[in-house]
Amino acid sequence: MLEAKLNEAALLKKIIDAIKDSVTDVNFECSETGIDVQAVDSSHIALVSLKLGSDGFSDYRCDRNITLGIKVASLVKILRCANDRDALTLMADDNGDQLRLTFEDSKSERVSEFVLKLMTIDQEHLGIPDTKYESDITMPVDAFQKIMRDMFMLSESVKISCDKEGVKFSCKGDVGDGSVLIKPSSSVDDEGSTTIAVETPVSMELNLKYLNNFCKASGLAQNVHLGMSSEVPIMVEYLLPNGYLRFYLAPKIGDEDEEDEDDD
Amino acid sequence: MGIKGLNKLLMEHCPAALRSSEIKNFGGRKVAIDASMSLYQFVIAVRQADGQQLTNENGETTSHLMGMFYRTLRMVDNGIKPVYVFDGKPPVLKSGELAKRKERREEALKKIEELKQQVEDGEEGEETKEAQEDVTRFEKRTVRVTPEQNDEAKKLLTLMGIPIVEAPCEAEAQCAKLAEAGKVYAAASEDMDTLCFGSPVLLRHLTFSEAKKMPISEINFAKILEGLEMTHAQFIDLCILLGCDYADTIRGVGPQTALKLMKEHGSLEKIVEHIEKNPSGKLKVPENWPYQEVRALLQAPDVLDSSSCDIKWNNPDVEGLVDFLVRDKGFSEDRVRAGAARLMKQVKVKPQARLDGFFKVMPKEGGEKRKADDKKTKGKKPATKKAKK
Repeated sequence: MLEAKLNEAALLKKIIDAIKDSVTDVNFECSETGIDVQAVDSSHIALVSLKLGSDGFSDYRCDRNITLGIKVASLVKILRCANDRDALTLMADDNGDQLRLTFEDSKSERVSEFVLKLMTIDQEHLGIPDTKYESDITMPVDAFQKIMRDMFMLSESVKISCDKEGVKFSCKGDVGDGSVLIKPSSSVDDEGSTTIAVETPVSMELNLKYLNNFCKASGLAQNVHLGMSSEVPIMVEYLLPNGYLRFYLAPKIGDEDEEDEDDD
Repeated sequence: MGIKGLNKLLMEHCPAALRSSEIKNFGGRKVAIDASMSLYQFVIAVRQADGQQLTNENGETTSHLMGMFYRTLRMVDNGIKPVYVFDGKPPVLKSGELAKRKERREEALKKIEELKQQVEDGEEGEETKEAQEDVTRFEKRTVRVTPEQNDEAKKLLTLMGIPIVEAPCEAEAQCAKLAEAGKVYAAASEDMDTLCFGSPVLLRHLTFSEAKKMPISEINFAKILEGLEMTHAQFIDLCILLGCDYADTIRGVGPQTALKLMKEHGSLEKIVEHIEKNPSGKLKVPENWPYQEVRALLQAPDVLDSSSCDIKWNNPDVEGLVDFLVRDKGFSEDRVRAGAARLMKQVKVKPQARLDGFFKVMPKEGGEKRKADDKKTKGKKPATKKAKK
C-alpha cells in the first residue's frame, strides 16, 4: 500500500495546476523511491515528466509498486478543497480502485478526507534518453514567463536561439515582429540571474501555446532550466525539493527544401 | 465494398487495435487518402436540404468539388498533410463485383422511372410524398463518380497545392504501400481491404463531415495480427473467407465460422481440403473459386514503387482557384479566398514535429516493473471512460 504525507498541500496543488492544461489523464507510478509521472498530451507534441522523490515527503511508505490512474481534472477538484498550508496525505491500497486524500490543518483541528476514483489508463511509456544538452539556460521563472506571454500576443511560435552572447527569443507575426535578447548575468550570485552554458549554438522554433502552458509551473521554483539541442525536443525544467517537473516539447521542423523562409 | 463483418470481428477479438480519436490528434501527420472513395462519399453525401445535388447555374454537379475543397481544408487546418491517391484500372478479378454493382444501378434506375411515373399520376398526399422520397433514395444508389468529376477533383487539388498520386490499379493498395514504405503515416479509406494490403495504420472517417461528429477510427495492423494470433498471409486468407470485392464466399461461413476455420486449419488450402473431405458437411466450396488469384492480388497488388511517387506540398494557386471554383463552378468568391488563405497559412507555418519521432516507445515487457503493475490495474474498474491513449 501507499502512504505519502506532504507537510504542505501547496506543492501538489501547484504541480497539478501546472500540468492540468497539458495532459488529461496520468498514471502515478508509486514505488519505494517515490512517485513518478509521465504523460503525453493528446496531440503527441508535449510530454510531462514529474518526479517526486520519497525524501521530499515528510512520511513515505510504499511496499509494493502501485500505479494510480488519475483523471487530472478530477484531482484538481479535490485539491481545491485543501488549503495551501494543510498537511496532505495520499493513501492507496495495493489493488484498490481509489485514492484517499486527507487534509489536516496545522493545529490538527480539522481533518478532511476525500476519495478519488481511479481509472485504468493505457498509456505508452516513452524512453527519454538522458543526454547532455548542447545549450543549457537557467533563468528566473518570471522573466521566462513574461517573454512567453508577450511573444504569444504576436505569434503562434517563437524561435529560441542560443549562443555564447546570450539567448534570443524572436517571433514573427501578422502585426509585426519582435525579439528579446537575454545576456548571461555578470555575477552569478544575484537573485534572478541568468546563466548560459553553450557547447554548440542551437536554434529552434517552438509552439507558444504549449510553452505558455508550461509556464503555469512558475510558482514551483525560482528558476527555470531550458535544455536545448538541435533537432530534439526542448526540455523545460522546474526543480522541486527532491524531484523535478519537466516538460518536453517537440520543435517545429523545417521541410527539407524550405530554407527560403526569409524572403517573404 | 470492403470485407464483410471484419470490423465487428476486430472489435470482438482485438479491441486494442482500434482506437478512436479526434482529428486534431493527427496534426503533423502525412496521410494517404483514397480519393476515389472520398469522391464517391462526397457525391452521395454533399447535398442540399431537399436531397438534390449541388450544382452550378449550368446544372453541372459540384458536390464533389465542394466536398473535396472543404474537407481537405478541415484536414489542413488541423495540421494534417494529405496526399490523394486516385484509382487506376480495376483489377480483372473485380469484374464480377463491378458487374453486380452495374446491375444494381440499372435496377435502381428502372425503379426510379416507375416511381416518377407514380408521382406524376398520383394525387397530392402522403403516398406521393413517400414515392418522391423513394426516388431520392434510389437516386443515391445510381450515383457514380464520372471520369470528368475525377479530373475536376485532380485539377482542384493541384490548384490547392495538394499532391496527388495516380495508382496503376486500386487506390487503397497504393495508399497502403505508401504507408508501409513510411512515405506517409497512415492510409485513409473506409475500405477495410486496405488492411490486407498491409497498411500499418488505417484511418477511417477522416473525410467525413465535421457535422457528423464522428471520431476518427485508427486501426493498427500489427495489433490486429497480434490479437488474432495470425500472420499477414493468414489474415488475408481470413478476409477472403469473410468475403471481399474479388470473390464469392463459401455459403454458410459467417465471421465467426471463418475465424474458427482459420484458427483450426491455418490456410485456405487446408480449409478447402477439409471441406472437400467431408462432403456430408453443410459447407460447399463454390465452383472455380479463385481464392489463389485473389490472394496473389492482395499480397502483391499492382502499385507504383513508393520511391517514384513525388509527394510535395506546394503553395496554393489562389487566382487559379478563384478562376476555377468561382467563375466556372459558381462558388462564393469570399469563401474560396478565405479557404485559400487558410491553405497559405499552413504552408507558411513550419510543420510541428511529434514526440514519437524523438522518444521511442518503451516495450511494456522490458519496462522494469510496469508489467506487474499493469496486471494489477486491470482489476480496477475504470472510474469514468477508459482513457483513449
